[in-house]
Amino acid sequence: MEKSPNQITEDLLRPLLRTSPKYYFAVALLAAVVVVAFAAFGYQAYSGLGVSGLRRPVFWGFYITNFVFWIGISHAGTLISAILRLANATWRRPVTRCAEVITVFALSIGAMFPVIHLGRPWLAFWLIPYPSERQIWPNFRSPLVWDFFAINTYLIGSVAFLTLPILPDWALVRDKASGWRKRVYGFLSLGWRGTPRQWSRLESAMHIMAIVIIPVAVSVHTIVSWDFAMAPVPMWHSTIFGPYFVAGAIFSGIAALILAMACLRKFLHLEDYLKPLHFDNLGKLLLMMSLLWFYFVFAERLTTWYGNEPSEMAVFWTTQQGAYAPLFWTMVFCNFLLPFPILAIKRLRTITGTVIASTAVVAGMWLERFLIIVPSLSHKFLPYNWGTYRPTWVEITIMVGTFAGMALLYALFAKAVPIISIWELKLGLHEKSEVRSQETEGRGKLAFGGQEKLET
Amino acid sequence: MQAVYGLYSDPSRAQRAFDSLRAAGVEEHGIAVVSSVPWEEYEFARRDRRTPMAWLAALGGLLGGVSGYLLAGLTQKAYPIPTGGMAINVPWTNGIITYELTMLGAILVTLITLLISAHIPDWTPRVYDPAVADGCILVGVVNPRHDSRVEIERSLREAGADSIKEANVTNRWRI
Amino acid sequence: MQRHDAPLDSGLSTLAILLLVTCHSSMVQTMESKAQKKWAMVVDLDRCTGCEACVVACHAENNIPTVGEEQAAMGRAMHWMRVERYYQGDFPNVRVKFIPVFCQQCDAAPCEPVCPTYASYHTAEGLNGQVYNRCIGTRYCANACPYNVRFFNFYNPVWEKPLHLQLNPDVSVREVGVMEKCTFCVQRIKAAEITAKADKRELKDGDVQPACAQSCPPKALVFGDLNDPTSEVSRLAGSNRATRLLEELGTKPKVIYLQRESWGDGKES
Repeated sequence: MEKSPNQITEDLLRPLLRTSPKYYFAVALLAAVVVVAFAAFGYQAYSGLGVSGLRRPVFWGFYITNFVFWIGISHAGTLISAILRLANATWRRPVTRCAEVITVFALSIGAMFPVIHLGRPWLAFWLIPYPSERQIWPNFRSPLVWDFFAINTYLIGSVAFLTLPILPDWALVRDKASGWRKRVYGFLSLGWRGTPRQWSRLESAMHIMAIVIIPVAVSVHTIVSWDFAMAPVPMWHSTIFGPYFVAGAIFSGIAALILAMACLRKFLHLEDYLKPLHFDNLGKLLLMMSLLWFYFVFAERLTTWYGNEPSEMAVFWTTQQGAYAPLFWTMVFCNFLLPFPILAIKRLRTITGTVIASTAVVAGMWLERFLIIVPSLSHKFLPYNWGTYRPTWVEITIMVGTFAGMALLYALFAKAVPIISIWELKLGLHEKSEVRSQETEGRGKLAFGGQEKLET
Repeated sequence: MQAVYGLYSDPSRAQRAFDSLRAAGVEEHGIAVVSSVPWEEYEFARRDRRTPMAWLAALGGLLGGVSGYLLAGLTQKAYPIPTGGMAINVPWTNGIITYELTMLGAILVTLITLLISAHIPDWTPRVYDPAVADGCILVGVVNPRHDSRVEIERSLREAGADSIKEANVTNRWRI
Repeated sequence: MQRHDAPLDSGLSTLAILLLVTCHSSMVQTMESKAQKKWAMVVDLDRCTGCEACVVACHAENNIPTVGEEQAAMGRAMHWMRVERYYQGDFPNVRVKFIPVFCQQCDAAPCEPVCPTYASYHTAEGLNGQVYNRCIGTRYCANACPYNVRFFNFYNPVWEKPLHLQLNPDVSVREVGVMEKCTFCVQRIKAAEITAKADKRELKDGDVQPACAQSCPPKALVFGDLNDPTSEVSRLAGSNRATRLLEELGTKPKVIYLQRESWGDGKES
C-alpha cells in the first residue's frame, strides 16, 4: 500500500505540529534525570574525583567505559547511512535520518565523558591548540589529543551530514505551518526553495560527505581503541584493538538504531514507514556484526591464551574464571549466544525479535567496554598492586543521566525535525512510479529529449 | 519587480513549459524552476549540474592535511619537549593529526562550497509558491520584458499549468 | 565559479597567521640542553630489611598527604616510595622478600608521551618531570606506568594539626585532581647544585641524598650520577647482581636493583 505524497507530508509533520500531554510529561521526567546527573557532576567537580569509585590502580572506570560505549553507539548513524547511501540501497530512505541523529547525540554525549572524568575538568580546554602566553600546547604524541581531533572532525562532519538534507524538510514545515513555527522554520530552512541548482549541489555535497565520513568514522573508533592499545598494559597493548573496536562500535550502533526505530515506530505511529523489512535488513546486518564480534573475541582470547605470557594470563583468567567471569560470560551470552539464533532464524527475525536481540547487544557491548578497561587495570604487572573497583552512586547517576539525556535529545529532535526525511521518501515514490510508467507505457526517461517531447 | 510563473503538478508538463519558454526566446538562465523533489531525470532540473565541488573538497583536504602536518610538525620542532624517549617529530603521530585535518578540510570546504554555490542562507523573498510544498513544480520568468509578457503567459498556459500567477519579488540578480 | 576562490583565500591566510603566531611565540623559548647528569638509584635487595623508614622519610620530605584509614583501605593511599612484600616458598619454609618500588625514572617512560598537556615530560637531566600546574588529571600516565608508581589527588590534601607545621617549604603542595610521583627529591638535587655553584666547585658523588637514601638504616639505597664512572652507583650498576624491574618492557629504568641469583627464580612477580 503506497502512500500519496501529501499523506506522507501529513503523517510525518504530525509530530511537529501536534503534541500530547504525555510528551511533555516524558520530557519533564527525562529532563529531571539529566538535571540530577548534572548536579552529581557538579558535586564531583566541587569535591574531587574522590566521590567516584576510582582508585589505584583502576584509574579509569565507568566514565571511560561510557565514553567508549557512547562513541561506539555513534557509529550507528553516519557510518551506516553513508554506506547505504553510497551503495544506493533504496530501503535506507526512512532509516537514514534516525540513524544520523543517533550519531550526533551519542557523539556529543560520549565526548563529554573524557571531560567528566578529568581531575580538573575546568582545564579541559588545554587540549585545544591555540597560542597563549602560558605556552600551553597539546602533545601531538598523546592519543588523547588524537581523540580530540578525531572526535571533533567526526562531530562537525556528522552534524553537517545530518543537517544538510534537513533543509528541504524544514522548508516544507515552513510552508505548512503557521504562526511562530512559520517564522522559526523559515529561519532554520535558511531560505531553501528547491531550485535545480540547490538540489544538485545538495546531492553533490551529500555524496562527498558520505565518502569522507566513512574513513573518519573508522578512524574515530580506531583512535579510541588506541587510547588503550598505546599503553603497555596487559591485554591492552594489542594490534587487534583498532578493527576490534570499530567492529564493536558498528555492532552496538546497529543495535541502538534498531531500538531507536522501534521506539519511533511505536510512539510516533510510523508503522507504515518503518516496516518489518527495515528491521529484517538491519537484523541481517546485526547478525553479521555479531559473527564478526565473536570472531574478534575468539581471536583475541586464543592468541593471549596460547601465548601464555604471565602478566596477560593474570588478566585472562580473571575474566574467564575469576571475579570478572560472570560479567564476561554474560557478555558472550548477550552479544552472541542470544542474538545469533534470533537473527539467524528468519521466523524469529521480526520486529520483536530484533528488539530483544538489540537490547541484549547494547547491554553486552557496554559490558565489553567495561571488561576491556577494568580487569586489565586491576591486574597490571606487579601483583602487589593488584586492586579492584566498584562504582559509586555519582558514577551511576551520571551514567543513567546520559541515557536519559540521549532519550531527551532524541525526543526533542523528533519534535523539531521530521524524523524521516520527507523529500527523500517522496523521491523514492517518484522513482518507483517512474519505473512503473516506463514498464507500462514504454516512455523513456526524459534525459535529453525535452525538445522532442514538445514536438510529439 | 514582477514574476510570472506557472505551477505544474506533472513534471513532464513542467518540462514542456520550460521548453516553450526557451522557444519563446527566454534565456535559459532567466527561467526560474522550483520543486520539492530533485527531478533529476528531467532536463529542467539538470541545469547547473556541473560543479567543481569534488575537486574543491580534494583541495580542501590537501590544504587541511598540509596545515595539520605543519601544525604538529612545526610547533613541536619550535618548542621541543622530549617524552618517552621518542623523537620530537614522529611521522606516525603527526600522520594521525594530518589525516584528521585532511578530512576536516574536505568536510569544511564541501560545506562552504555548498552554501556559497547553492545561495544558502538567503532569506530574501524570491520566486516561490507554497504550492511547491504540495508537490507542484514552479516554472516561471522573473522580470520579463514587457513585449514578451503575453507570449510567456501563453507558453506557460499551453504547457498545461494548473495555474498562472504573478508575484512581486525582491530580485537582484539571482532567480 | 569565481566565487569559490574566496574560502580558499581566507583559509590560506588563516593558516598563515596561525603558523606565524605559533612559531613566533614558541621560538623565543630555547631549550637548555647540557645533558650532563644521569641520576640513578641503586637498591640493594639483599640489604633491605623492609623497615619502611624510607617511606616515612619520603612522606615527610615531599609533603605527601595521608589520606586516612578509609581511603587507604580503598586503595587511595599515596606512597611515592613503597615496600612491596612477596612471599617465597611453602609453609613453614616461607621467606618474605621486600622490594622498595618508586618511580623508576625510565629513559623510555611510557607515562610521558601519553600526557596530552606535556605535564609529564623528560627533563634534561633524564628525570621524569611532572608539572603539577599543567596536569589536568586524565590519569592516563598512571595507567601507562607499568610500575604503578603514580598517584592521584582524589581530594584536596589536608594536614591535621600539627602536621601542617612540618610541611617542607621546598616542595609544592599538590591540589585536587593532579598526578604526582617520586621526583628523586629534585629539590635536593637543585639545592646541592646551587650550593656547589656557590662554592665554585663541581658536584661530587654523595652531595645529593634523596630522603629515602638518607634515612635507610642498612644503606640499601644509593643515589648518584650514572654518567660519572667513579660514582658509587656506577660501580654498583656494574655488579653482576644488578638487574632492573620489568626490564623486558623496554622502559629503560634508571633504578637498579641488586639481588643474589637465588632471588631471581621467577616467583617474585
